[in-house]
Amino acid sequence: MDSTRGVSIEVSGLRKSFNGTPVLRGVDLRVAAGEIMVIVGGSGEGKSVLLRHIAGLEAPDAGTIRLNGMELHEYLALPPAAKPFRLSMVFQGAALLNSLSVADNVSLRLKEHRTHSRPEIQRIVATCLEQVDLGGSEAKLPGELSGGMRKRVAIARALAVEPQVILYDEPTADLDPILTVQIGQLVKRIQDTRGATQVIVAHDLALAGEIGTHIAVLRDGRIVDYQPARELARSDNPYTQEFLRAANLKF
Amino acid sequence: MTSATETIEHPQHRGGVLARLGRAILEILQIIGEGAFVFFGALRRLRLTVRTWERMMGQLVRIGTDTLPLAFLVSLFVGMVLVIQAADQLQQYTQAILGSIVGLAMTKELGPVIMGFLIAGRAGSAIAAELGSMTVNDEINALKTMDIDPIQFLVVPRFIAMTLALPMLILYADVIGISGGAIVVSFDPAVKISVYQYLDNLTQWINMQDVVVGLVKGLVFGIIVSVISCTFGLRTKGGAEGVAVSTTAAVVWSFVLIIIFDYIIVRLAILF
Repeated sequence: MDSTRGVSIEVSGLRKSFNGTPVLRGVDLRVAAGEIMVIVGGSGEGKSVLLRHIAGLEAPDAGTIRLNGMELHEYLALPPAAKPFRLSMVFQGAALLNSLSVADNVSLRLKEHRTHSRPEIQRIVATCLEQVDLGGSEAKLPGELSGGMRKRVAIARALAVEPQVILYDEPTADLDPILTVQIGQLVKRIQDTRGATQVIVAHDLALAGEIGTHIAVLRDGRIVDYQPARELARSDNPYTQEFLRAANLKF
Repeated sequence: MTSATETIEHPQHRGGVLARLGRAILEILQIIGEGAFVFFGALRRLRLTVRTWERMMGQLVRIGTDTLPLAFLVSLFVGMVLVIQAADQLQQYTQAILGSIVGLAMTKELGPVIMGFLIAGRAGSAIAAELGSMTVNDEINALKTMDIDPIQFLVVPRFIAMTLALPMLILYADVIGISGGAIVVSFDPAVKISVYQYLDNLTQWINMQDVVVGLVKGLVFGIIVSVISCTFGLRTKGGAEGVAVSTTAAVVWSFVLIIIFDYIIVRLAILF
């Protein structure tokens, strides 16, 4: 498979409840290969839960997820070397392993699966850190980094395996506007240079409009609106309009 | 109609005594199930690769080497207290059996149980807190998305290290405890025997089987503490409070299981 191309994602009738409380009530979503899909919605609407299902971290009560037509559970059951494409996730809090250096965090998957030689790994780490403007910080520990730097290391870690799908859970939460713009530019650059399919959960509509190919609005556990990013303002969905008014934004 | 200020009761918190009892039993069964999953998962993955070896050595230092000063202090004073207590009780009869009392108590019972408690309180709690914190910070999930098995990566090195460290610590505690007893024998005027008599009596009564029973206990306690600590760490929910709950539960469960398995091993040792 061409490593520079993303894969499609198809979510059908996804349902999930926690302790009897429904969170996802039948989510249907299709993300085309190589596009940047931004999922927006209020707090507690189930955006992160949806993303964790796509990453295979949660088991749905009902519904299916397909990656390039392959059922997610079939994909997850494959040994790492047999997987036809790779999936990476950038967690809200970066989720770096605090006992490992930046370089060890970025190269963790490559080292554990022994897919590359030591010099190759060093080159990949240096390249990925350069891409997120953190060149030279290989020896630092996560505890020595700012929140924005940790997020960028997490993105570098995601990039290190040349994924065809990258999932981001609130990548700009708790970041200042300048860092938010930088992360947005980075996501665009990944699309331009690598063509990976990217799904971003955000409540930042400005960022969504700036970087998204399409925007899906999640409310009450369902996708209530789905638009090309530039056409979101023309949506006749009352919740989307309310959301836009609250954010005081025009696309 | 429900008023806005009315508290909404969580479905899990409803019910009477029977419902709460049922939930508690289900929770215990779930913990046992998860513990079995961690234990058999670790056993199935017991391949000493170079990477596992490196991580295991790091854990061995944290669990074993770093516990040595504390183990020294505890064992020394336990041995000393044993001699003082036993000497006082035996004043009317004979203090010539002091060596065997201290030796047997240390090798068969106090050494393994005290070291088990020490490791559960010191290293077990640290493991539960570390894995708990990794769980709530999504680090475990990050490993899963990288196709890295958390059992292989995190549990196996800790499991091997603790199972190896505890028997070694028990041997160490036995020696220090018996030495502590000898120190008291040498200077306490209430003890009427010499250090030579103390050691002579000790070597007459202690045989290899006593030491082996103590080491078997160490092996079992090491498995218990590592499995329980990892299980509670990996099942942590919530934030800092969840980590605290998991850490406390890991220590309490380890203590209780150590005592229960201590009885079982003693029973079996006497039978065979």
